[in-house]
Amino acid sequence: MRRGSYQRTFCILIAGALFLGLPGLAAAATSIAIQRENVPASPARVVTDEVGRQVSIPANVKRIVSLAPNLTEIVYALGLQDRLVGDTNYCDTPPAAKEKPRVGNPVNPNLEAIAALHPDLVLATTSINRVDTADALEKIGIAVYTSDPHTVRGMLDSIAHMADLMGATEQGKELVARLRQRLDAVQARVADKPLAHVLFVVQEQPLITIGQNTFIADALRWAGAESVIISDHNWPQISLEEVLRLQPDYIVFASDQGDSSAHEVADLRKRPGWQGLDAVEMGHVIDISEEVSRPSPGLVDAIEELARKLHPDAFAKNGRARTEAGAGQFAFAADSIRGVAQEHSSCAR
Amino acid sequence: MSAPAQHGSAFGVQAYARVTSPHLRVAVEQATYAYEATDRSAPKFMLGPVTFEARQSELVAILGPNASGKSTVLKLLAGLEKPLSGRVQIDGTDVSSLDLRTRAQRIALVQQESELLFPLRVWEYVLQGRYPYGKRLRFESDEDCLFAGNALAQVSADALRDRWMDQLSGGEKQRVILARALAQHPSLLLLDEPTQHLDLGGKVELLRRLRRLADEQRYTVLVVTHELNLASEFCDRIVLLHKGKCRRVGTPGEVYERELLEEVFEAPLDVERRMGRRPRVMLREMD
Amino acid sequence: MRPLTPKRVALVCAALLGVLFVVVVISLRLGAYPISVADIVVTLVNGALKHWDRIPPEFSLVVFGLRLPRIALGIVVGAALSTAGAGFQALLRNPLADPYVLGVSSGAALGAIISLIATPHTAGALQASAFAGAMLTITAVYFLGRRGGQLDTATLLLAGIITMSFLSAVIMFLMTTLSGRDLRGMAFWLMGDLSSPTVDLRWLFLVLIIGVGCIYTTASDLNLILTGEKEAQHLGVNVQRVKFVVYVAASLLTGLAVSVSGAIGYVGLLVPHVVRMMWGTDHRLLIPTSAIGGAILVVAADTLARTIVAPTELPVGAMTAIAGAPVFIYLMRRRMR
Repeated sequence: MRRGSYQRTFCILIAGALFLGLPGLAAAATSIAIQRENVPASPARVVTDEVGRQVSIPANVKRIVSLAPNLTEIVYALGLQDRLVGDTNYCDTPPAAKEKPRVGNPVNPNLEAIAALHPDLVLATTSINRVDTADALEKIGIAVYTSDPHTVRGMLDSIAHMADLMGATEQGKELVARLRQRLDAVQARVADKPLAHVLFVVQEQPLITIGQNTFIADALRWAGAESVIISDHNWPQISLEEVLRLQPDYIVFASDQGDSSAHEVADLRKRPGWQGLDAVEMGHVIDISEEVSRPSPGLVDAIEELARKLHPDAFAKNGRARTEAGAGQFAFAADSIRGVAQEHSSCAR
Repeated sequence: MSAPAQHGSAFGVQAYARVTSPHLRVAVEQATYAYEATDRSAPKFMLGPVTFEARQSELVAILGPNASGKSTVLKLLAGLEKPLSGRVQIDGTDVSSLDLRTRAQRIALVQQESELLFPLRVWEYVLQGRYPYGKRLRFESDEDCLFAGNALAQVSADALRDRWMDQLSGGEKQRVILARALAQHPSLLLLDEPTQHLDLGGKVELLRRLRRLADEQRYTVLVVTHELNLASEFCDRIVLLHKGKCRRVGTPGEVYERELLEEVFEAPLDVERRMGRRPRVMLREMD
Repeated sequence: MRPLTPKRVALVCAALLGVLFVVVVISLRLGAYPISVADIVVTLVNGALKHWDRIPPEFSLVVFGLRLPRIALGIVVGAALSTAGAGFQALLRNPLADPYVLGVSSGAALGAIISLIATPHTAGALQASAFAGAMLTITAVYFLGRRGGQLDTATLLLAGIITMSFLSAVIMFLMTTLSGRDLRGMAFWLMGDLSSPTVDLRWLFLVLIIGVGCIYTTASDLNLILTGEKEAQHLGVNVQRVKFVVYVAASLLTGLAVSVSGAIGYVGLLVPHVVRMMWGTDHRLLIPTSAIGGAILVVAADTLARTIVAPTELPVGAMTAIAGAPVFIYLMRRRMR
């Protein structure tokens, strides 16, 4: 009996050692190894990003990975697309971004794929990326700058900061100035108009709209509109009854690029509840680009589009003001030039 | 009140003295117990002073109708409850003072059924009876296998060794359950109404087996039952309980008295006594 | 009559550890970053010998920084969940019990959500908060699950289910206040995610060993308890103490696993059953083999999850279900003979 119990103890000890040993070695090795890895390639500076993290960024940022569609847009807008070595599966604006190497979804990117691209800087944003991703990348010595835009102005500041980090300060200033100019122009037009009361529909079923503190709410204000729903929750779920009571002037949908036919007024008129809305009856249903929810240069397009649809009278006359909106790469600017040309041709003197 | 002395039992008053006899296994002295019934309207249940003994190779029946306190006596014997007063001793020690493992080495309580969650082989099941010996986390030794094998043999279930427990018949299962209890190598075997679900043949077979175990392997077996004739036929001693009171302790001949039995079992009975044979109880013809 | 011997336990465990080793090697090899087996071996050997300067920095980063921690975490989580599952199945006398049935994962999820709302950017806050939530739930369910001052199986199960429902309701309520980005993160957490080990792995392994060890000490007792609690008591098992130890240890293991990796499903349920089918129900073998088996399953599932549709990563929980269920069905049919 005694001999048996020694044997047993011995066997259990061996098994335990094996069980522990392999992964334990790995674990120990891991934590030691990583400490030695945080040696940046070129001289670095330490900046504080928009969520308060200290990030050590190399002076020369040559390889950039973007973890969100809006950040990819910003990189292209700054003219730095040659330095963009990777983006996410959802990055499709501008279309050239689709050709870049992919690192997965913004919420759950493939860390190894990011590491394989040897980025000098990874761009993240609180609106779609997770803290865990930033933590994990930091742990393996990759610099992650997280932006945290809450307002349109904040977004402009953010663009300026990021441009600075990537060594494109001048381009950044220029882009921000252009965008600001366009925004100011819109503001100038709609400033003396009454605010349009709109219902911004994030989702139809169940009916979800936006809260006061969201980015979209701020964008709406720039376009001369205001949400009829006042809420501190970011994505409040409301009932159609409430909307019927408030009777907004316009219903605004933000749809995917190719899906703009989804909200035909005719469809809405057939639906119970929606029928009772004055806005539906009068056909005041607006579909704008989903860029309105994205802190990127395309947002300004969306704001202009929305402002134009909400306050058509503010934009109908004074074609000159339109051309002042400035040249840009975006669709609206091109439209405006065409529009002015038409006007001038039709107003043949 | 128990009154063994009345019937000139040899054990008599000496039973109250300190245990000295080497063959005395179980000694219950003036044990009492009481508990509140869960239903408030029902009165407190009192188990009056019970006194009896059991020795090596004896088969004792705790006999009585329902609610007479038989199961309570069993609980006291198994050490599951402590008597309010008096003593319940096994091999000279108070049962309730023993720790769980030692108790399991001395006393085996045989269950009727075994609800297994996962399939188990017969020999695995019987080997579990060796648990009280050795450390908590233990692997069975050759000695354990020997005991388990013996236990199976003692109930003639050796052939069932490699079968799955859930594929056994009722009788086979009961033998295996008994074997596990025997593997504990106890001094005392306790069975609570073991004949409940058996047919007549099964009942007789079981009692015969218990008798054999007592005679040949020198176990002390205590059976709680209400089967009058089986108790009479196979048991050395009867402890007759009625509404918590110990009415009589003695051999079947001494205990089976018509008026007493009629009073206890509340049924018209006839007791047939024949010379040299155990008394037999029958229902009296009703007019 | 061939009773279980320590030698057999050691042999089976060694064989399974061998399988785990192979799975780990394969997992180390696969991934988006191009690195050959030779490079991996060299890196590992140099790492073991602490010759850090001999390892190219990218290799060190990928092997020690990304893959190995993920694999190690998978081992911990897999082992913890399957051992807990085996323990709960015995404790609750229910073959359908899994580690989450007593509400531990809901408590952890609640902790996670609260941390997402309160401190969204603090590293490690999520894990700490989830663990705290798990511990509170364990305590609450313990006290609710008692009857007459002792853990009662049926009451415990009921207490666990009620607690789980209540916590789920609270979680749903809180989720309406989370902004979109946190909701997405929460969804991934709920599905199980091994990609971000922010807790020191050495602590995790320590708690794992302690938890599995505690449950293992009750292995013989559990064998008896599964034939009936009263029967076990009559054989000398201190049933109350065993139930308490198993409850605490299994809950601790579950809380640990869920805090660091979210709620990976099916591991705690399937692995003990598969192991039972192959090597029987004796807990002295079941416990260690479940642990190793769970580690194998999770590492394999995670490897598949991160390579099948690279660069997209699938949730581990989905892979464990997809990988585990057919194996289970096959074994079940084989047993039907």
